[in-house]
Amino acid sequence: MLHIRLFIGIIGIIFFVATFEFIRKRHLREEYAILWLFTSSIVAILSLWPGLINVLSKVTGLYYITAVLTIVFSFVIAVLMHYSIAISKIKEMNKELAQKCALLELRVRELERGEEPKDKMERATGLEPATSSLGSLHSTN
Amino acid sequence: MDRRIAVIIPAYNEEKTIGSVVRGVKDLGNGYEVIVINDCSRDDTTRNAEAEGATVLELPVNLGIGGAVQTGLKYALASGFDACVQVDGDGQHPPHEIPKLIEPLFDNGLDMVVGSRFLGGTYRVPLMRALGIRVISLFLKITMGVSFRDTTSGFRALKGPAMEFFASCYPQDYPEPESLLLAYIKGFKVAEVAVEMNYREHGISSITPIHAVYYMTKVLLAMVIDLFREF
Repeated sequence: MLHIRLFIGIIGIIFFVATFEFIRKRHLREEYAILWLFTSSIVAILSLWPGLINVLSKVTGLYYITAVLTIVFSFVIAVLMHYSIAISKIKEMNKELAQKCALLELRVRELERGEEPKDKMERATGLEPATSSLGSLHSTN
Repeated sequence: MDRRIAVIIPAYNEEKTIGSVVRGVKDLGNGYEVIVINDCSRDDTTRNAEAEGATVLELPVNLGIGGAVQTGLKYALASGFDACVQVDGDGQHPPHEIPKLIEPLFDNGLDMVVGSRFLGGTYRVPLMRALGIRVISLFLKITMGVSFRDTTSGFRALKGPAMEFFASCYPQDYPEPESLLLAYIKGFKVAEVAVEMNYREHGISSITPIHAVYYMTKVLLAMVIDLFREF
């Protein structure tokens, strides 16, 4: 029992230190880091202070390993769901950025060729029109 | 004709066909401006389109058909076009059929006109695809009470509120059936008109039989969820 406890404790501590390092090197944003620091702390504390598990069992009534597993499993699923949502959001932002980038790039090319920007283009790009082109009509190329 | 029509052509590696499509649109005369959205192609799509006088929007990353078409819609809306029409870059949609989609928009006060292969034509599609089109058609019949046959046609024209709506909110992965449902949910005036379509000149359909099941599941799921959404 002592060996396995020591082993898990070491994993918890390595986990904690690694998370700290990832934040320090800016590989991980703080908002995600909180989750992992919290998780690794719990693993480390529980393994180094096993009496706490008994206290928790008494308080929560969770004596069965299946109940504990279910809770851990739900936690993992919740984290994964959170990532799916985060990825979807990032994908949407990426799409918006790519589209705006394409619209701006076309406008830059037009300006470089000395063409008048298409009227109302500023609505798409969020840029102020050049004063000389105010009220200008669209010119076909 | 004083109207300005944006012909939106999403293109991904269409160097072989894009030139003739752009030329075909240019032959329609004034009032039509070609906007090619190059969805991060690795070939000469941009050069061949520009050589024929198209305006090219270049996406820095591959967004897929929905994201590309939406880019064109944003451009058309911001540049003050009166209407727009979406045309495939692979030569499947003959440019000389474009006026058939544009005229009803203005003559009959419609918001969206879709070119149909099945009305009066003899166009044949592969079995799996025909089945998919039927299922989506049935879905629209049940949920919206409308009869619509060519539910996956990407040959379509938009104006006014429909153009504005889809510029801000357009389905991304397989947009044709879903955008049709959205148009009905939004209460736009939609019509289907008979057009000729060519068989693909080069390349293969983006939907192969292997993807058919995934396609149908994804499209129907998205459409069911749309019924419960606020727009």
